[in-house]
Amino acid sequence: MASFLLEVGTEELPASFVDEALEQWRSRIPKSLADQYLTPETIDYYGTPRRLAVLIKGLPLQQPDQTEEVKGPSAQAAFKDGQPTKAAVGFAQKQGVSVDAFEIRSTEKGDFVFVRKVLKGRPIAEILTALVAPWITELEGKRLMRWADGEIRFSRPIRWLIALLDETVLPIKMVSHSVHLQSDRVSYGHRVLHPESVSIPNAEDYVSVLRSAFVEVNIDRRQEIIQAQVQEAAKQLGGVATIAPYLLREVTNLVEYPSAVVGKFDEEFLQLPAEVITTEMESHQRYFPVRTGRGENSAELLPYFITASNGDPEKSAIIAAGNERVIRARLSDGKFFFDADRADPLESYLPKLETVTFQQDLGSVRDKVDRIVAIATQLCDQLQITGDGRAQIQRAALLCKADLVTQMVGEFPELQGVMGQKYALNGEPEVVSTAIFEHYLPKGAGDRLPQTLAGQIVGLSDRLDTLVSIFGLGLIPTGSSDPFALRRAANAVVNITWAGDLALNLDRILESVVSSFAASYASVIKVSSIELLQQLKDFFLQRIHTLLREDHSLDYDLVNAVIGENDLEYAARALSNLLDVRDRAHFLQTIRRDGRLATIYETVNRASRLAAQGNLATDRLNPSQVVDSALFQKSSEQAFYDALSQLQGQTNYENLVAALGKIAPTVSNFFDGADSVLVMDSDPAIKQNRLNLLGVLRNHARVLADFGAIVKGS
Amino acid sequence: MNFQTVIATLHQFWSDRGCLIVQPYDTEKGAGTKSPHTFLRAIGPEPWSVAYVEPCRRPGDGRYGENPNRVQHYYQYQVLIKPSPDTIQDIYLDSLKALGIRPEDHDIRFVEDNWEDAAVGAWGVGWEVWLDGMEVTQFTYFQQCGGIDCHPVSIEITYGLERLTMYLQNVNSIFEIQWNDRLTYGDVHLQGEIENSTYNFEASNPELLFTLFKLYEQEAKQLMEKKLVLPAFDQVLKCSHTFNLLDARGVISVTERARYIGGIRGLARQVAQLYLKQREQLGFPLLTR
Repeated sequence: MASFLLEVGTEELPASFVDEALEQWRSRIPKSLADQYLTPETIDYYGTPRRLAVLIKGLPLQQPDQTEEVKGPSAQAAFKDGQPTKAAVGFAQKQGVSVDAFEIRSTEKGDFVFVRKVLKGRPIAEILTALVAPWITELEGKRLMRWADGEIRFSRPIRWLIALLDETVLPIKMVSHSVHLQSDRVSYGHRVLHPESVSIPNAEDYVSVLRSAFVEVNIDRRQEIIQAQVQEAAKQLGGVATIAPYLLREVTNLVEYPSAVVGKFDEEFLQLPAEVITTEMESHQRYFPVRTGRGENSAELLPYFITASNGDPEKSAIIAAGNERVIRARLSDGKFFFDADRADPLESYLPKLETVTFQQDLGSVRDKVDRIVAIATQLCDQLQITGDGRAQIQRAALLCKADLVTQMVGEFPELQGVMGQKYALNGEPEVVSTAIFEHYLPKGAGDRLPQTLAGQIVGLSDRLDTLVSIFGLGLIPTGSSDPFALRRAANAVVNITWAGDLALNLDRILESVVSSFAASYASVIKVSSIELLQQLKDFFLQRIHTLLREDHSLDYDLVNAVIGENDLEYAARALSNLLDVRDRAHFLQTIRRDGRLATIYETVNRASRLAAQGNLATDRLNPSQVVDSALFQKSSEQAFYDALSQLQGQTNYENLVAALGKIAPTVSNFFDGADSVLVMDSDPAIKQNRLNLLGVLRNHARVLADFGAIVKGS
Repeated sequence: MNFQTVIATLHQFWSDRGCLIVQPYDTEKGAGTKSPHTFLRAIGPEPWSVAYVEPCRRPGDGRYGENPNRVQHYYQYQVLIKPSPDTIQDIYLDSLKALGIRPEDHDIRFVEDNWEDAAVGAWGVGWEVWLDGMEVTQFTYFQQCGGIDCHPVSIEITYGLERLTMYLQNVNSIFEIQWNDRLTYGDVHLQGEIENSTYNFEASNPELLFTLFKLYEQEAKQLMEKKLVLPAFDQVLKCSHTFNLLDARGVISVTERARYIGGIRGLARQVAQLYLKQREQLGFPLLTR
């Protein structure tokens, strides 16, 4: 058994590339080996900012021999009178065997000639030498680069290569113009703690040799070290470090030999909003904040930070002092921005929004704000919000983007909304301030939703404007391309409505937003307003469908049953009442689970299928208006009629299902009982009368769902 | 180490490593990259090694001299080497040593930072260099310039001279930097910060600036028609700076903004292409020098 080490030494890789590259190797390398009939015992992947490596253990020295079976001509064509034909000789020659080696076996298509060939396994060194260069060059990344005068593309320049089979160097070469990379056993340790090169005697020594050169190549181990050190340091300070997983991972890939270094900052900066301090620390400096306890929102910040240094632990004092100066300068900047921004009321920033583009053809953010206010007002009308509540929503809508042109948000765009909230407190009611922050929620899938009505309404208005206007420009998301995050926006509209139990008529609001857009932006709109409205409705229906299926884990067919398969009536109902479509879908799932669906499924479906042969409009629910009892011939018809009358006026879905359950035996009798009828009677009037009986039943069931879309009862 | 000593030290250091030491370019620009010593020389096959101090103007960054870290006029120390040498990171660390910063005493990191200036069709990848958490230098491997693929690739190193000197002198404000033993950075530049901030934000005449922009644009075009590449490039720089002044004044509307940036981009690309053609016609003279 042999071990193979590949190390690609580089200049500092982007932290995200280290993980992305190893992820690609994790799927590619085992497959690449399997294609060569090689199944190693273990494969370990290593990475630091300056290297990617893979250590493969338990490889055979020789590729196993492979037997290959090749099918030849049919036995009939291969032999004539016991003698090999031309075809047989030709096949034998092509396969490099004699005719004696033929085996005749029967197959489904008759007897055929087969030959078995043994492919001699090649030495592992030979195979690996040919295999590994593509592992490196075929790695994909966001922005690959060239360096010097070469054409090789990689995330950052490659500076050395190691390819060791046990203790032997395998000759791997990557050459392009003057860029000349040739594998060896020489690696490099930590940039400053071990600037000399190190020689790897044997592939299996890799991890330990690098460790002695102040490089921990095992990413998970490095991450554990950082996490433990940072928490220990926080504990010494009497606090708890806030370790965001994304930040921990990034920091892990920024250092080769981590050591936690603690720094302090002036307590006066704690007057700044906590979000400003943590944004400076986390996003800009990659520091871990320290709080009095767990819980980002409840626990107070302490005037410390912890950084995972890549320097010499003995020099921690110098390193801490340097970092303290940086955070002091950054926090002073923050304080400068905060004080300067607060010198004027939030409203005073509105005119400057005219200089910020929302979208080239859609004008400035100031224009967008006007549209948001208009939509918010319509929503207030629809939801019958009046008085102070209405005025506050309009105020929040007007101010929701004002912080974009403050100095703080200019510096830290990720603080949009957060700063607007803080600045609004200076003169605006708290409802307005909170709504400014909340209207950006949810920021991503799974994020929290706005809790206040004002936050919900402004958030809906902002997104409806974006959806209508971007669709209006014809920039509709396709496949994986959704640059304006319109799917997320539409999901948010639906989720906010659901979570807030808002009795919103999306159908109507879309119609009115589309018509004002079409009126104001006639020169840029790409399609007619009718078509635009249809596109938006279809898009929302798809989103509702996906949300119910994926986030609410409801069965596919039940979701189809409430949204309707190509049934405009259901589509319109869904969009005009988002709460009802959600409730009906959940209700269907409940009755499928508890068996009630099974008791009515057959009856309703059979009735509906037959009713489809009639022409009863789907809104007719009263049997007395469409069924003539004088035409009844059997008692089962009268019974059906009487039962239908009981269904009348059931708008509560529970009661409706109970009533349908009750009616089921009566309908069975109508179809199959001793007193059953043939629906398709030769007398057209009787036939129509019977079809109408079924039609009324179908129509009642339709109040709940399109049963035709449901694939099974249980 | 005084500000002027920092510059002198870097000059000596890069001069010793074969760089041509040139003087600041005399047209306003937002970054050392826009100097023709970098922007144009990065194009084409000819080798080039250069180091220079470049004064940069960013009108919108003015703070009337009130912010200790932010000014509308500052200096960059710019190095451009083509093709990029294999040991450039080590050479750079040696330059820090020359400034008295011993890498082994510090936490020095190369943190991903890519650069793109869509306005001039240029992009590259590289890092910001962190010295104990402070960004002191930008490293960029130029991949494209003026819309033209860079062959070979240049490495650009940009030191933030004020940041670096503040660190070396342990002062907390740009204006406290000791320029020489007698005078501070504030003595030299504070009044200019105050007056130019006032100019940039309040006193400039937008009408005049709009007119100037048009004139510079026209001039650039007519010079390009005459294949006068370098004078045309100067006019493009003037367009770019005039646009920045207008932007700082807050008078560029949304639709105008896109048009201005698009206009400058178009001009810069044309100059880059003309430059490459011109060098080709000259037979790429530096290839043999």
